[in-house]
Amino acid sequence: MPKWFLPAVLVCAVMFAVSPILIANAPYESTMGLVQKIFYVHLPSAWVFLLAAVVCGIASARFLFRGDPHQDRLAWAAAELVVVFGIITLVTGPLWARKAWGVWWQWDVRLTSSLMGWMVSVAYLLLRQFGGPGSDKLAAGLALFGMANVPFIYISVNYWRTIHPTTSVVPTLPTSFGLPLWFSAVTFMLLFVLLLKLRVRLEEQRASLDTLYLSADA
Amino acid sequence: MHKTMTTRVLMATLLVWAIGVTGPDWLTSDRAVGATLLAQQPAPVEEFVPIDELPPQDQLPAAPLLVTAYAFVVLALFAYVGSLVRRLAGVQRDIERLQSDLKRPGRS
Repeated sequence: MPKWFLPAVLVCAVMFAVSPILIANAPYESTMGLVQKIFYVHLPSAWVFLLAAVVCGIASARFLFRGDPHQDRLAWAAAELVVVFGIITLVTGPLWARKAWGVWWQWDVRLTSSLMGWMVSVAYLLLRQFGGPGSDKLAAGLALFGMANVPFIYISVNYWRTIHPTTSVVPTLPTSFGLPLWFSAVTFMLLFVLLLKLRVRLEEQRASLDTLYLSADA
Repeated sequence: MHKTMTTRVLMATLLVWAIGVTGPDWLTSDRAVGATLLAQQPAPVEEFVPIDELPPQDQLPAAPLLVTAYAFVVLALFAYVGSLVRRLAGVQRDIERLQSDLKRPGRS
């Protein structure tokens, strides 16, 4: 592992320890009260979910057009993180919505497109796991659709009638709400980088193992 | 004819008045019950009531939802990191085993 990895793990751990303190000290939102504090994990995980889908898409495109195996490993690692952060987003969102909207789920465009994006990544992983030879390129094609869905998810709240908050909420947040949110977002981003590096490392190790098996058979 | 009609209207008016003033027992008892029921009902709500002003039994508690959300985040991340570490350790173990097999002198 690179030299920066261990210090970054320590920084991330400290940030994860500090983050709940900042969130606990943040003021209560006037209309939603206590349940609004779910927002400090829901939004960063949603951002990482979208970022991971973009990373997966770009790496897949580079793998498709250049045939670079490192890009394929990166795409696979990112797809797994889309699923992890996607499930966090899709679980914490309804927990907030139950109190704020009175329903667990609403088939509006933001929620539905997010679910679709998550399902594309699940399909990617299933294809990689059970697709057999050649599934890497099929999965890479699927990842391009996953990436194309990201801008749609992001702008959907501004173009369609929806009960989900729009993208204008975050830029207008006062510092008392913005500080814990951005701190939590940086923490999640750092965690994403670390997990991505670790997951790519796993694929590299698997590739080394395959090479060793081939040399043992030779 | 006209006199008979006037008499009938007069009698009907007197009867209604008499019932209204004195009233039979069944009428007055129903009135009393109705008044009691009306007094027991909550005052009608004629305007929007914010959710935090609802009585506690009508409010959905936020704390369990918040705790569930944070617990899920922590558990999901720990489970994923655990799975990643386990898989890495497994592959590393396989690599070491295979490397030691390849270095064995008796291997043809």
